[in-house]
Amino acid sequence: MHSVVADFGRWMVALSAVVLHRYWKTAAMAATSFTGDSLLFLVDYLLRLIRVAVLLSIWRIVLAGRGPVSGMTLATVLTYTLIAEVFAEQLTPRTRLEEALWEGTIATRLLQPMNVVGQFAAEMWGQWAVNLALFSLPLLLLCPAFGVSPRPAGWGAAALFAVSLLLAMSVGLALEFIFGALVVAMQESVWVVAQVRRAVTLLLSGAVLPLALLPWGLGNVFQWLPFASLASTPLKLYTGTGNPLVLLPLQLAWSVLLWPLAGWMWRRYRERLAGHGG
Amino acid sequence: MAGSSPAWTLRRLLALWRFYGAMDLKWMMRDARSLLLWTLSDVITAISAVASTLLLAARFNGIGRWSTPQITFMLGYALLVGMIPNIFFNYNVAYISRRIGRGQFDHVLVQPQPLWMILLTEGFSPFTTMLGLLPALALLAWPLGRGVHTVTIGWLAAFGLNVVASVAIALSFSLIVGSLAFWAPRAAEEINSSSWHLLESLKLFPLDGMGAGLTATLLTAVPAGFLAWYPSRALLGIDGAGYAILVTPLAAVVAVLLATWVFRRGLRQYGRTGSQRYLSFGHRR
Repeated sequence: MHSVVADFGRWMVALSAVVLHRYWKTAAMAATSFTGDSLLFLVDYLLRLIRVAVLLSIWRIVLAGRGPVSGMTLATVLTYTLIAEVFAEQLTPRTRLEEALWEGTIATRLLQPMNVVGQFAAEMWGQWAVNLALFSLPLLLLCPAFGVSPRPAGWGAAALFAVSLLLAMSVGLALEFIFGALVVAMQESVWVVAQVRRAVTLLLSGAVLPLALLPWGLGNVFQWLPFASLASTPLKLYTGTGNPLVLLPLQLAWSVLLWPLAGWMWRRYRERLAGHGG
Repeated sequence: MAGSSPAWTLRRLLALWRFYGAMDLKWMMRDARSLLLWTLSDVITAISAVASTLLLAARFNGIGRWSTPQITFMLGYALLVGMIPNIFFNYNVAYISRRIGRGQFDHVLVQPQPLWMILLTEGFSPFTTMLGLLPALALLAWPLGRGVHTVTIGWLAAFGLNVVASVAIALSFSLIVGSLAFWAPRAAEEINSSSWHLLESLKLFPLDGMGAGLTATLLTAVPAGFLAWYPSRALLGIDGAGYAILVTPLAAVVAVLLATWVFRRGLRQYGRTGSQRYLSFGHRR
């Protein structure tokens, strides 16, 4: 009996290694293709760095001489903004699904012996790895130069942030496939949906402007939407300005609700997929 | 020679604008559903783009020394400057890196027109993009209606001059960055997407009170400051200096000259190497 269990365990480890190996290789290919051509992608990081400096300066100007606003001090808002930039990709996860639909390569993706969500997620993680190493980490190291503390509100806040970040990725990926299915359902240009989604997400997620600082109590409404689960929730937990007993279950609920919806929409509309090449 | 006289050039330009405008109108009439969706998408995007800054100004009763109506005017100006390239240069000059990087620049070079004439006319899409101007005009009209500045013929002329100059600066910056694709076609193919997006996001904030280094960067290397902040400051009289109204147009002259120089160097490089992106059977590498 013992040897059967041991054999089963070894077999499961081997199977996992084979399955994960595919995704690992996909991620590695995505990472190397991103950096392999030339160093020009570094220009993008430089431009993003300028954006961070501008955003931090804006908050210093707006909140100068004010006490806490909606429970957020200047230091808290600066940390919120900086961490939002450090984890920008994780807080608003985007895959190459739109490009695949646009270029028609979705057809060959469906032929690959890998789960579709897994393929796109693995690619996304590959690119994240590069961005984390070459932008996020240096940005964290530059915190003293920006005069911002990158530290979370406490160890508990850091742990809650980690959990919330995972849930944010889950909600983000589900939204990615819901919007992808919507493009197929509408039989419209990928970019119409993408453009609206990008614009709306930026505002409603709280990635740029903390929802608590919106006027007329708009933040109280927006915080219940799934977009808030992307950036606002993890960042609130990181800065200790949100109630985890409300925020985490809400995030979990959106994740649990959105994935079945994504699966249903993807199955419902996949027959309408047409690849015309790019 | 008739083909090189200014009158012929003007007639040709007008004919090409009419031609591309008619094509745009035909597309619009053919597919009303797509048009409606694109227009709606443009309007939502425009409103969302300025919403963060506007909401911030509403919450804190202005930003720094800028009052809420002044911020509103600046955002209207910013949207207008962002929309004009869509109307006149839809997906050509602002995203030139794509054309160069994908090898599609050859499609432009084989046409029997001067290159500058093609770039000036082929992106003309007045009908499909015009409605996108509405949010910009609304944002400009509201503060002016509230007396944020007196509107005179002279002021309107200065406004028009500054808007044209801001557009020229934005397109010049894109042309300079996009020209990198002459040297690195694959790596720089989408660089204009990033650079344009960055300009669009950075132009939405007043830069007063920021560090000198950051302000200088945003008026030179990444000239987002000239796309709304500086000209609005001059037009609204926040900057008391009389010459301020001419600074953006002068900066535009420098930017256009620089962009032309960089682009020509890129073209020379292209003349030597050609496009590396097509295999003999036509696929992109």
